Amino acid sequence: MSTDLQWLLLRKNNSFIVKRLSEGPIFSREPANLTNVHSHKFSGLANSKTIAVVDSPTGVKIVTRKPNASPTSVSKAYATTVIRPRSGGRRAAGVAAGIAKRGYRPDLRAAAISRVSALVAAQKEPKASPPKKVRGSKKQL
Amino acid sequence: MASRPTVSIRAASGEASGSLPLPAVLTAPIRLDVVAQVHKSIAKNKRQAYAVSVKAGHQTSAESWGTGRAVARIPRVGGGGTHRSGQAAFGNMCRGGRMFAPNRTWRKWHVKVNQNQRRFATVSALAASALPSLVLARGHRIEQIEEVPLVISSAAESFKKTKEAVALLQGLNAYTDVIKVSNSRKLRAGRGKSRNRRHRQRRGPLVVYNEDNGIVKAFRNLPGVEIVNVRRLNLLQLAPGGHLGRFVIWTEGAFGLLDEVFGTFDKASTFKKDYVLPTAKISNPDVTRLINSEEIQSVVRPAGQKIQKRPWTQKKNPLRNKAVLFRLNPYAKTLRRQEIPCTVKQERLKAKGGVKKVKVAAAGETFLKTLHAP
Repeated sequence: MSTDLQWLLLRKNNSFIVKRLSEGPIFSREPANLTNVHSHKFSGLANSKTIAVVDSPTGVKIVTRKPNASPTSVSKAYATTVIRPRSGGRRAAGVAAGIAKRGYRPDLRAAAISRVSALVAAQKEPKASPPKKVRGSKKQL
Repeated sequence: MASRPTVSIRAASGEASGSLPLPAVLTAPIRLDVVAQVHKSIAKNKRQAYAVSVKAGHQTSAESWGTGRAVARIPRVGGGGTHRSGQAAFGNMCRGGRMFAPNRTWRKWHVKVNQNQRRFATVSALAASALPSLVLARGHRIEQIEEVPLVISSAAESFKKTKEAVALLQGLNAYTDVIKVSNSRKLRAGRGKSRNRRHRQRRGPLVVYNEDNGIVKAFRNLPGVEIVNVRRLNLLQLAPGGHLGRFVIWTEGAFGLLDEVFGTFDKASTFKKDYVLPTAKISNPDVTRLINSEEIQSVVRPAGQKIQKRPWTQKKNPLRNKAVLFRLNPYAKTLRRQEIPCTVKQERLKAKGGVKKVKVAAAGETFLKTLHAP
């Protein structure tokens, strides 16, 4: 079944759609939606090739739909790459960019990289704030 | 033509053991609008009549006082000794009066839908249930299952115990959908609580069987799971709420019988008289594939130079900027030219080098002679 028709069927209503404001943007909760925007391009359901970037305890996972997978298969149709924790931002972004480099959804390159780097940045432990300096005569006390 | 796609049959543990060709129904056209409209009408057919009592608001001997008493002419309850006396009655605006347009039991509760439309909707809903993306979009938890449509071996039809059914669903990784239903159970808002609709919950998988050797009893106690015979597939179960993509689990026998129950595109159904599946309006709805096809690419004109237009250019004031003014009003150019006074024009001409004077040659002698000849 063509993805164009699938998009038309799930565009108006699906369980992932988020419409909060009457005139505002329409978002999507699909796991394979890189920008969370409800559109055909970013849809994780109505595309034969999708990239999902999800956080997991073992590191950031990049799940892609295999290009040769049968349209009826579900769990076996996905391939997972894991970016190990503490790989660093550059390597993580490189892994994300590599997918586009291999010709797999090059249109999603920027979105994939930004999602990966946001997750990697979130995993970083925040630096402890420096101890507060006391001012003036209180120093002696 | 490519070979017909097949669907593998899964044993209780989840691994494939043989396969069946995909029935033609599951490739039927999917019409969202038809399903929604037919569902809306069909869903009304289960309603029971309700009405207010015919006597409600009329159980009083009120009569109008007529004019002259400085009160409205609405019927008023007679007598004295109670607050009710003198109060207005009957009208829909009155306290204790009848409602406006009282509900009657003879309201049209049922809606007739043409048989072919009902079948079209059922077939559409079935075809939608064979697409993983639509089943996911409906909210079923099927991420871990192997394949959609999910077909299980006929051994499941003789399951007697719910324990076996649970083990089967767990083996297929389909049990998460049942858990989702179980977690979703909430107390209903409103009066429905006291009308045998105490809880509301999601819908789980729909199990379709061919022959009941205990499968109904095995599955029926699982929350959200519905069980139906292939011959009695129902739109209300295939597309709850008019939303496409119910998660359907087929037994082998049921799946094999689909071509007989609904027929194919060229063979009439054996269960429904003269019923042939509806054909799609276009055979290939893949827009990208159509655009890139040889037939279309061979006749389209080659793409020209790409014109990059600036999305937002700076706005120019046409009263100051001549070029913009002339673009908006071509006649402005002529107007401007006419406004320039003659002297300026001549000066400009002089600056350019002036108008060349045409030298007038003097008349020849012979010419003058003949002219002045007496």
